[in-house]
Amino acid sequence: MGTMTASSFPISREASNYDEVSMQQSLMFSDSLKDLKNLRAQLYSAAEYFELSFTNDDQKQIVVETLKDYAVKALVNTVDHLGSVTYKVNDLLDEKVDEVSGTELRVSCIEQRLRTCLQYIDHEGRSQQSLVINTPKFHKRYILPVGETMRGSDGTKLKYQGSFLDDGDDWHQFRNAVRATIKETPPPVSKGRSPAPSVRPQKSATFSFTSTMPKKELDSDKRTASPHRFPLLRSGSVTNRSVTPNSSRPTTPNTSRPTTPNLSLAGRRYPSEPRKSASMRLPAERDNGKDVEQYPSKSKRLLKALLSRRKSKKDETLYTYLDEY
Amino acid sequence: MARAGGITNAVNVGIAVQADWENREFISHISLNVRRLFDFLVQFEATTKSKLAALNEKLDTLERRLELLEVQVGTASANPSLFNT
Repeated sequence: MGTMTASSFPISREASNYDEVSMQQSLMFSDSLKDLKNLRAQLYSAAEYFELSFTNDDQKQIVVETLKDYAVKALVNTVDHLGSVTYKVNDLLDEKVDEVSGTELRVSCIEQRLRTCLQYIDHEGRSQQSLVINTPKFHKRYILPVGETMRGSDGTKLKYQGSFLDDGDDWHQFRNAVRATIKETPPPVSKGRSPAPSVRPQKSATFSFTSTMPKKELDSDKRTASPHRFPLLRSGSVTNRSVTPNSSRPTTPNTSRPTTPNLSLAGRRYPSEPRKSASMRLPAERDNGKDVEQYPSKSKRLLKALLSRRKSKKDETLYTYLDEY
Repeated sequence: MARAGGITNAVNVGIAVQADWENREFISHISLNVRRLFDFLVQFEATTKSKLAALNEKLDTLERRLELLEVQVGTASANPSLFNT
């Protein structure tokens, strides 16, 4: 209680001092205004007095001199009064303008506080609403978009065709399928297909696909080969390829649709495919030249159809190798 | 004698004319200062009017802002659920 009185006492004293000063100033200002008002009456009365004395008195020169002095003094006094009054008015106006500016500042501060409160309320509401919503989560997919070019092993740019081989498993399956296709086709010894004689002994049924392909190309093929080529290998027909259009296949693999093609599923689709393998063929069939010619031509068309989808130099070299079979 | 009186009259007339010109000069000075004082008063009136107009405009703006603040605070205090978060 004592501290409150001690702390509030200087404030009240300052307030009383301020009130006293302001009262004195206002009194002085009102006195100045009263003097200005009385000055008008005094000037009029002095003018009347000097007029009468000038007409009645004989000492006109003295009256004129006195009038001159009085006029000068009255003018100076009026200027002083007006100067003080205008100064006080200016001071009062500046004080009021400062008060208004201070009040504007306070109002701006209050507005800013209110805006901060509103922003905080909005933020809190937004955070509350955002906790309710479950945002879907997507896994990352590294997909090369269609039409994008990538660097091949020989420095040439390979055009991406919109299909790719995602996994190494796919690549191995593709390679095994190509090997099986190569193995089932006998070497065209009887056919004069114009391979170079020096090259012919090098190309045998044990053609290693990996030996002819550098590892870089393998890596690039891992990205570019499509898993939808395996059904083409087994079907051996171009018409079956149109059954699974590549354009309709989404680039992002679905979980319901595995990226690695199922061989069992393909086997179910083409149950007559194993009968075409070279190991299961009868010797009589092998001797049949027509069949021998038919199978390489089928395989050739199959591989052509397979490899025509890949426009790269690597595939062209592979195509030239396979074309000889 | 008459010549001397004529000279005296001429001198008196000259003195009177000189005094008249001095009085005229004094009156012109006084009137000039009064006009300056009047010009000062007119200028002071214009300045004070403009200051008062600016102050009035500020007070009007302040009054509107205070009314807006009053409404906003009243709305916020009328809905206490906003502060319960």
